[in-house]
Amino acid sequence: MKENVKLFLDSDVLERYLTGETSQEETLRAERYITLYREVREVYDMLQDNLEAFAKMYARKTPEGFKAILLNSVKKEKATRRKSFRYTIAASVALMIFASSSYFFWDQHKNLQQDSTQVTRKIAYLEEHMKDQLEEMRNQFIVFNNPNTKTYTVQGENAGKELKAIAYINPVKKLSYINVSNVPSLPENQCFQMWAEVNGELVNLGTIKQRGDKDKLLALPYADNAVGYITVEPECGNTSPSFNNIVANINY
Amino acid sequence: MSIFLEKHIVALLAERDDKALSLLYDHYGKTLYGVACKIVRDEALAQDVLQESFIKIWKNADSYDASKAKLFTWLLRITRNTAIDKLRSANKKADKEIQIDISDVHTIGVDSMRPEHLDVQENLEKIEPKYGTVLEALFFQGMTQQEASEALNIPLGTIKSRLKIGLRELKKLYASTLTPLLLLIVVVL
Repeated sequence: MKENVKLFLDSDVLERYLTGETSQEETLRAERYITLYREVREVYDMLQDNLEAFAKMYARKTPEGFKAILLNSVKKEKATRRKSFRYTIAASVALMIFASSSYFFWDQHKNLQQDSTQVTRKIAYLEEHMKDQLEEMRNQFIVFNNPNTKTYTVQGENAGKELKAIAYINPVKKLSYINVSNVPSLPENQCFQMWAEVNGELVNLGTIKQRGDKDKLLALPYADNAVGYITVEPECGNTSPSFNNIVANINY
Repeated sequence: MSIFLEKHIVALLAERDDKALSLLYDHYGKTLYGVACKIVRDEALAQDVLQESFIKIWKNADSYDASKAKLFTWLLRITRNTAIDKLRSANKKADKEIQIDISDVHTIGVDSMRPEHLDVQENLEKIEPKYGTVLEALFFQGMTQQEASEALNIPLGTIKSRLKIGLRELKKLYASTLTPLLLLIVVVL
């Protein structure tokens, strides 16, 4: 017999395993020895037989009718388990429905919240835009209806000979507008760009689209003794005016 | 119990066939009830133990592994543990009731402490008392080896060796029943 088997059999692990009193580690050890070593298996089987014989010594007649009571109680337990199993399934299904509907409503709520934020932003933008437009309209109304408003006709030169514009300047209200009434056609890669020299600084007033901006009233920044220029610039406009390409001067 | 019958019961248990419990009761009921009575020392309590044990057996039928233990060993473990748990909770309850009302003392089946069957006494006499005492303390009184050592005033090492030798001594119990049977068969032949 191997030394380790002898040592194992000399210990009381097998006896305690027999009655289920071993720790998890001891249980695994006992099961390993029982499986691996025939001698241990034989002793274990003998101990099982002995324990059965020992227990049988105390066998006792069960009360009359007890078998029916006992089997009935097991049956009841089975029915309860089956019932609780059904309840568990029902609860799981209900939980799943609740969870999915909760997710659905949460998602809807989130989308609505996003939509609501977008709508609020749009309303705020429109409100701001409307205010600007109203302000612009009010200013234009003031300029055109004020007797102090001076009108300057601007005639183009050089490449913009055909360019015609009318500037409206109101020194009282400090407002000025320009209406480009005729925009001559330019090569495709060129455009007209407006500038204003205000307090010694050149301000870009934007490009004039050849057809779209015709008859459109454009605001000019007001300053005493300001000068406005219209230049011919590359298609997308320039960051500083090309003084060689000035086609119109507006002194106001 | 024949191996064939044991296998048949195990198969029925695995199939969740009601017949399994009926067969278990018929073949092991008395022994398990006797063990429960011995541990809890109260018939009503022992009946509860047997009922609970059968429910556990039914519930845990899937966990039975024939390679790890014989069917009876598994059944005995369940019944013994159930009985020990029952006894402990009954003792706790009794302690509480004593504290509440001193007159409401439960005497747990004093009359059932005496062995009912003469066979038990006869068989027990075949085992040396020193081993029988240790086996009873460990198997039927729910004591750990340490507790048995303290209760019986025997060193722990001696408890271990008596358990070991005692369990092997038990062979005498069925060996002695087999010898006359073998003699009878020889005479008849």
